[in-house]
Amino acid sequence: MSAEPPVPLAGLVDHLFRHAAGEMVAALARLLGLDLAEEAVQDALLRALQTWPFAGIPDNPRGWLFQVARNRALDRVRHETMSRDALQWPGGIVDLAQRGDGSDGGRIGDEALAMMFMCCDPALGRAAHIALTLKLVSGFSVEEIADASLERAPTVAQRLVRAKREIRERHLALEIPLPRELAARLDSVLEVIYLLFNEGYAAHGGENLVRADLCDEAIRLAQLLAGNPQTDRPAVEALLALMLLQRSRLPARVDALGDLTLLADQDRSRWDRGFVEAGLRHLERAAAGTEISPYHIEAAIAACHATARDAASTDWRAILRFYDDLVALKASPVVALNRAVAVAMAEGPEAGIRALERIGDDPALAQYHLLPAVRGGLERRAGWKAEALRHYRAALALRCSAPERRFLERQIAEIESELSATAPQ
Amino acid sequence: MAQFLVLARDNGDPRREMGRMSPEEMQRIMGKYMTWSTRIRDAGHLLNSNKLRDGEGRVLRRAGGKVTVTDGPFVESKEVLGGYWLIEAADYAAALALLQDHPHIELWPNASLELRQVHDFTQR
Repeated sequence: MSAEPPVPLAGLVDHLFRHAAGEMVAALARLLGLDLAEEAVQDALLRALQTWPFAGIPDNPRGWLFQVARNRALDRVRHETMSRDALQWPGGIVDLAQRGDGSDGGRIGDEALAMMFMCCDPALGRAAHIALTLKLVSGFSVEEIADASLERAPTVAQRLVRAKREIRERHLALEIPLPRELAARLDSVLEVIYLLFNEGYAAHGGENLVRADLCDEAIRLAQLLAGNPQTDRPAVEALLALMLLQRSRLPARVDALGDLTLLADQDRSRWDRGFVEAGLRHLERAAAGTEISPYHIEAAIAACHATARDAASTDWRAILRFYDDLVALKASPVVALNRAVAVAMAEGPEAGIRALERIGDDPALAQYHLLPAVRGGLERRAGWKAEALRHYRAALALRCSAPERRFLERQIAEIESELSATAPQ
Repeated sequence: MAQFLVLARDNGDPRREMGRMSPEEMQRIMGKYMTWSTRIRDAGHLLNSNKLRDGEGRVLRRAGGKVTVTDGPFVESKEVLGGYWLIEAADYAAALALLQDHPHIELWPNASLELRQVHDFTQR
């Protein structure tokens, strides 16, 4: 995907085509099946692209797209033999254009949510969950999915074909699960959303350190879930709060040269207060009820950072307590790594290094560049320059994004010059 | 002020390529066209514009007192007339200046714009 920012347009909101595509496919798939629905939608977008440059953007672009997609779908239905059954589908396609004007957005949201649950059906693998959600709900192309998931386009294309066949053969339902199944089914949907967010927050390859568009899409999907009373559960609110709070820091995470700025060094005036406030609001809503998820705790940690006036006044002891809770709820090597950072901040770098040593040989982290990178950072703070150098170099040997690479190289150069300045002549 | 007709021709590339694009890419292309036409319209240069239907058309001829109507000639033609803009400018030079960064020729290597002045005999 090009790094070119979207062109702001009067009368055309950012990502309108992408979002409308997802909604239209969701609404039409029940009638036409996935493949024909995707075709009808692609056709509608193509017609817009051919007409609007001459005729101008219609007053209600979204309604226009739905109307045309509906007409294309009806053409399809007339050609396929399925016509009679299809037209009897309750709340059928004839309502689509009316709903497409946004006056009844809730219904459209329902369709998109049903699609999201189908894409994340446990019968399909996790890699398929992500690819399907991005393709069918978020309107990404195969190339854009490949970019986001660091895979080759043919691999993604193949995975999509296979997953769609699975959907057909297993007759996976295009509906929001019943209340008694919802919690379990929601888990895999939230997991996909958070993975998507993290891929945007710390793009793991390529030139861009962050992909705000991926973060925003993850937030949009969570907002869809939070906006529907059937799916607005505390875990959804907590994940939404977490992502909004993290998203607030995005403008300060990368400097003018596209390089990484660590939390402690970020210019907090560049944090987006709108996102912080929305995040805190959703965190409050997440506290309704007795349910507590890992997202609750991670959001609470993010809130500690977001509300600290400056790095020095961060309440690291509170954060460490939250990490202890998180380890108890969801013991993972990455959580343990983050906890070790909190230990270092609350009790000093040497305590942090001891905490890291305990997770050092976890095979899940063997290829994870942040483990040696964090260790190098703590060793540098402890004054152990030779060890710091060794670990920064080890981190550099693993896969990381170009700005992370430059960050590590800068650390190494600084330590090397410190060492040569103090070395006996 | 003179009026000019801007005819957008292409060889079918845009339709083929746009059909393969993702929604986001399509919106980006749309953005380029709208940026151009908004600027021209806001400056008071745009009078009218329309997209013509693809792949159809009729040609009328009269021979021996009889009108014959044929389809086309677009079917065999390599170049397709996709649509037009009617713009207003002082002269050819000014009209050409408005078209320098037109996305139609920026985006599609085999596309062209044809500029024709409307002949107005009441003007000197």
